Amino acid sequence: MRKALIVFRKEWREILKNKLILYTIGVPPILLAILPLVMMYFMRNEPVDPEDLAMYAQFVAALPWLTPQEVVMYVLLNQFVLMFLMMPVVIPVTIASFSIIGEKEQRSLEPLLATPIRVTELLAGKTLAAVVPALLTTWAAFAIFLAGAYFLATPALLRALLSPMWWLAFFVMAPLFCILSVAIGVVISSRVNDTRVAQQIGGLIVLPVVALAMLQTFGKVLYTTQTFALASVVLAAVDVLVIRVGSNLFQREAILTRWK
Amino acid sequence: MMIETHGLSRKFSGNLAVDGLTIEVREGEVFGLLGPNGAGKTTTVRMLACLIRPTSGTARINGYELGRDNQQIRRICGILTETPGLYEKLSARENLLYFAWLYDVQDPEAQVRKYLQMLGLWDKRDEPVGIFSKGMRQKVAIARALIHEPRLLFLDEPTAALDPESAKTVRDFIEELKSENRTIFLCTHNLDEAERLSDRIGVIRQRLIAVDTPDGLRRGLFGRQTVVQLAEVTPALVDALRGLDFISHVNQDGNRLLVSLSDPDAQNPVIVERLVRAGAKVQYVSEVKHSLEDVYLTLVREETQ
Repeated sequence: MRKALIVFRKEWREILKNKLILYTIGVPPILLAILPLVMMYFMRNEPVDPEDLAMYAQFVAALPWLTPQEVVMYVLLNQFVLMFLMMPVVIPVTIASFSIIGEKEQRSLEPLLATPIRVTELLAGKTLAAVVPALLTTWAAFAIFLAGAYFLATPALLRALLSPMWWLAFFVMAPLFCILSVAIGVVISSRVNDTRVAQQIGGLIVLPVVALAMLQTFGKVLYTTQTFALASVVLAAVDVLVIRVGSNLFQREAILTRWK
Repeated sequence: MMIETHGLSRKFSGNLAVDGLTIEVREGEVFGLLGPNGAGKTTTVRMLACLIRPTSGTARINGYELGRDNQQIRRICGILTETPGLYEKLSARENLLYFAWLYDVQDPEAQVRKYLQMLGLWDKRDEPVGIFSKGMRQKVAIARALIHEPRLLFLDEPTAALDPESAKTVRDFIEELKSENRTIFLCTHNLDEAERLSDRIGVIRQRLIAVDTPDGLRRGLFGRQTVVQLAEVTPALVDALRGLDFISHVNQDGNRLLVSLSDPDAQNPVIVERLVRAGAKVQYVSEVKHSLEDVYLTLVREETQ
């Protein structure tokens, strides 16, 4: 895996010289960490809107150890778990598309593939370069959020926020989303020659995550640890499938003869 | 033998790109591969550099078997592709270091310094290659192909799209490489370049049409010819030459006689003597040297017909 690390290091040298990618990696996590804290700050002393309470009545019954106000805050903050999960979806696909299509644009793949690097090492290096920043920024954003919540949330709400569901989301689902995102990035990059087009297509993969968040916002479903555990299993299966497709496309022969 | 191929072929969607290529390239030899666009030159290089698999046939590179020993082959080969293919945001030094690491070069920094200095780019080492001229980029690409001191170097159109000065610099550098006993497999459209640099030339149009030294190709196609410039040509002088049994053809072109023969060094003095005895005033005698372009175009046209 030494060569994968060489690829990783070179990818990072390039990323650090690309402001657009740096903004993509840096700005959303900061916003996503601050927004729920701002929301919590303003909601904590405000009376609960009766309409909200009516919408979340079933959740109030399901979470008897929280006050109605805490339930509303909990449900709204739960959406941010899903919002946080957009980062490991968007960042890797952006970096992977930039990395692979960048190689296509610069026509650097042929000399690179002529070296004694194995394609698995090359793919691993590129995957690492896309996954590591996505995970680090996601976790950093989560850490900032938790630090703020420590001061803003009530003890009961804080305990609820530190439930296994959140840990599952950040330490199991986030890496799985990252891998899925890179694999999709590889598939897209094999068919597209423009980084922006690839990123736009890649951006579509956040739609299912947004849709899941919306279901909870409108009181249709309350995500629990069990839901997230099941989602992790499904996600892992999808990962395996997409990785296989991506790996088949990421072969010396295919890259040089079949990629557009 | 550095390269040995036997019936190497490659099909793309049913179309033959390379058909039954059988060649041998000796160690230290510069082998030029000529052919029109789409003749299969790049496909040949890609197969030999283990980038794509042949559909059929076998090949050995320095004794390593293509398909089985690809990693070993990649270690001893360097490739200069048609386009430089550099990372534009990275500096020349960073571009070369990356490849030095990938090739497990012992002292990457020293090797990068060696080639950047050799190619006159050391002062620009930390500048992004995106701002380099075409000639400078090509130099970096050549340095990259050589960074691991490959024994076999594939050069695909090394001077294409370069201005004459940059092209000359690159050609001079390739000539320097010749003296280092590296085997060079050169694909080019530039016939002068092929003739100047190559020990032997292969002409390809899907299949190998001919292979020999540049002079060997000329002789094989046109034989050897001597041109004799006279003050005046008379029918008696033409008849005098036709009487010589080693002459196969005599053609008159104004006051010049074009004589086809087999051994000019031994036979030219006999021709001159015969003409002088017959009363001719010989102004000059020289060997007709067909250009490689004539050879190439004739071969390709014959193949097309």
